[in-house]
Amino acid sequence: MNAPLIEIRGLAKRFAKRGGRGGRGGREPAPWVIQDLSFSVSAGEFLTIIGPSGAGKTTLLNIIAQIDVASDGEVRFQSEHAPVGDAKALKPGLACRIGYVTQDDHLLPWRTTLQNVLFPLAVQGRLNGSTRARAEMLIRTAGLNGFENHYPHELSGGMRKRAALIRTLVYDPPVILMDEPFGALDAQTRTQLQEDLLRLWNLGKKTIVFVTHDIAEAIALGDRMLVLSRQPSRIAGQHAITIPRPRDVRGIMTDPQFAALYQRVRGELQ
Amino acid sequence: MTVRDAAIDLDAPAPVRARRHAVTLGRVALAALLLLAWKISADVAGPLTVADPIKVFERIVADTLSGALVRDTYVTLRLSAIGFALGCGFGVALPFLLRRRPRLTAAVEPYIMASVGIPKYALVPLFILWFGIDDAPKLWLVGLLVFYVVFIAVFAGIRSVDRGLIDMARVAGAGEGAIAREVIWNSLLPFFFAALKIALPRAVSAAIIGEFLVGNEGLGYLIEHSRQNLDTVGVFAGIVVATALVLAINALLVTVDRRVNAWRPIERHMQI
Repeated sequence: MNAPLIEIRGLAKRFAKRGGRGGRGGREPAPWVIQDLSFSVSAGEFLTIIGPSGAGKTTLLNIIAQIDVASDGEVRFQSEHAPVGDAKALKPGLACRIGYVTQDDHLLPWRTTLQNVLFPLAVQGRLNGSTRARAEMLIRTAGLNGFENHYPHELSGGMRKRAALIRTLVYDPPVILMDEPFGALDAQTRTQLQEDLLRLWNLGKKTIVFVTHDIAEAIALGDRMLVLSRQPSRIAGQHAITIPRPRDVRGIMTDPQFAALYQRVRGELQ
Repeated sequence: MTVRDAAIDLDAPAPVRARRHAVTLGRVALAALLLLAWKISADVAGPLTVADPIKVFERIVADTLSGALVRDTYVTLRLSAIGFALGCGFGVALPFLLRRRPRLTAAVEPYIMASVGIPKYALVPLFILWFGIDDAPKLWLVGLLVFYVVFIAVFAGIRSVDRGLIDMARVAGAGEGAIAREVIWNSLLPFFFAALKIALPRAVSAAIIGEFLVGNEGLGYLIEHSRQNLDTVGVFAGIVVATALVLAINALLVTVDRRVNAWRPIERHMQI
C-alpha cells in the first residue's frame, strides 16, 4: 500500500471552556475529548470507525473536514497539514476534496430535493448540462425520482438521508466522511441504504470514513474498522475485515467471520 | 379565507363547511354592527364630535373624484415608501456587515440597544432644526422607526441561523457571499417578514404624524387641517383612508409572505 491519503498523528482536542459566570475560581481547563489519537486512511479504502456515544467521533470528522480545529497533533491530507489551534486558517472541505455527510441531513428547508442536490454545483459554479444530467442520474439511482420538487419536510427520514448523500456524491469529492448517516432510521430502511451505499461506492471506489455506533454496520460496510474508547478517545482496537465483496448486507450475520469479530469488538467497547 | 382554508374546504364534510360559512357570516355581521354603532354615536354625540359615516363616505367619494384625496394619499404613500426603503435597507445591511466582526459587534451592541429606547417622535423638533421643513425631517422619522424594528429582527435572525447549515455550505464549496445570500438570508426570512408586519404600518403612522407637524400636504396634513377648521367629517375621512391604506399594504405583505415562504411546513405567522 502506498502513502496514506489521510494521516493523523497524536491528535488531541478539547473545547474552549464555556464563559462560565462562576467567577475566577473555577478556571480549570476543559477535559480532553480526544487525546493521542493516531491512524491513517489509504486511498480507496472504506474505513469504519466505531465507538461509544460521546467518544468524540463527530469531533474527529469535523477536524478532518476542517470545520473544527485540532488542539494538538498532526492532521495531514495528502501532503497538506491542517492548521492546529488556529480556527481562522481552516479550509472547510479542503476545496471540495472532502465531502461530509453529517448526522443531521442539513438539507436546506427552502430548497426542493433537486435544488438541494444541485446546491454544491451551483455554489461551485459548475452547474451545466452534464453535471445536471449526473444529478438526475443519482436521483434516479437513489430512488428519489418523483420527489424532485418536494421540500425536505415532505420527505421521509430515509429519503432525506438519500438526498443528503447524493448531494455530496454529485460533485464527486475523492473522500467522503459519513457521520452515523443511517442512525435514526428503522432497520429495514437502514439495510436498504447500506446496500445502496455499497453499490454507489463500487461505482466510484471513493475513500470513505464512516462513523457509526452499530457494530454490525461497521463490519458489514468496512474494509477495516477502528474501535475508539470512551472519552478521551483513543484507539481501543483495529481490525481488517476480510469478508469478500460484493457483500450481502442482509445475510452478513451468517458469515463465520462476523460472529467472532462482533464478540471481540463488543469486548473492546466495554 | 386563505387558499389553504379553501383547499381544505372542498373535501371537508358538510358540518365543517357550514361552520366556516358561519365564521364569514359572523364577520359581516360584526362589520355591520360596528357601522351601526358609529352611526348611533354620531347621532348621539353630535356632528362636531363624531362625524356621520354617510357624510364621511360622501366626502371620500367627492374628494377622490376631485383628485385632492388621491394627491394626499400619494404624498403620504411616497413619504412612507422612501422612508421605509431607507430604514429597511440600513436595517438589513448593518447586521450583515456586523456578522463577520464579533468584537466590533460586542463593542457597538449596547449603544445600539440603548438608542432603541430613545423616543423617536421626541426628536422631530430636532430634525426640523437640522434638516429644515421639507421631506427630510419626516423621512428621518419614518426611516428611524423602521430601521430599529428591522435591525433588531435581522440581528436576532442572523444569530439564530443553524450552524450546521453554514458548515454544510462551506464544506460544499460555498464562499462567504453565497452563504450570506443563500443560507443566512433564507433562514432569517421569517424574522424579516415578522418585522415588516410591524414596520410597514408604523412607517405610514410615522409619515402621518410627520405631516401633522411639518408641511402642507398629505393625509396627516388633511386630518390636522380639517380639525383646525372644525371639519370633523374631513378628520374622519382622513382616518378612514389612512386605515384603508395600512390594511391594503398589510394584505399585500401577507400575499408576498405566503409566496416567498411557501416552503414552510406550517403557517407560523400571525395575520394582523
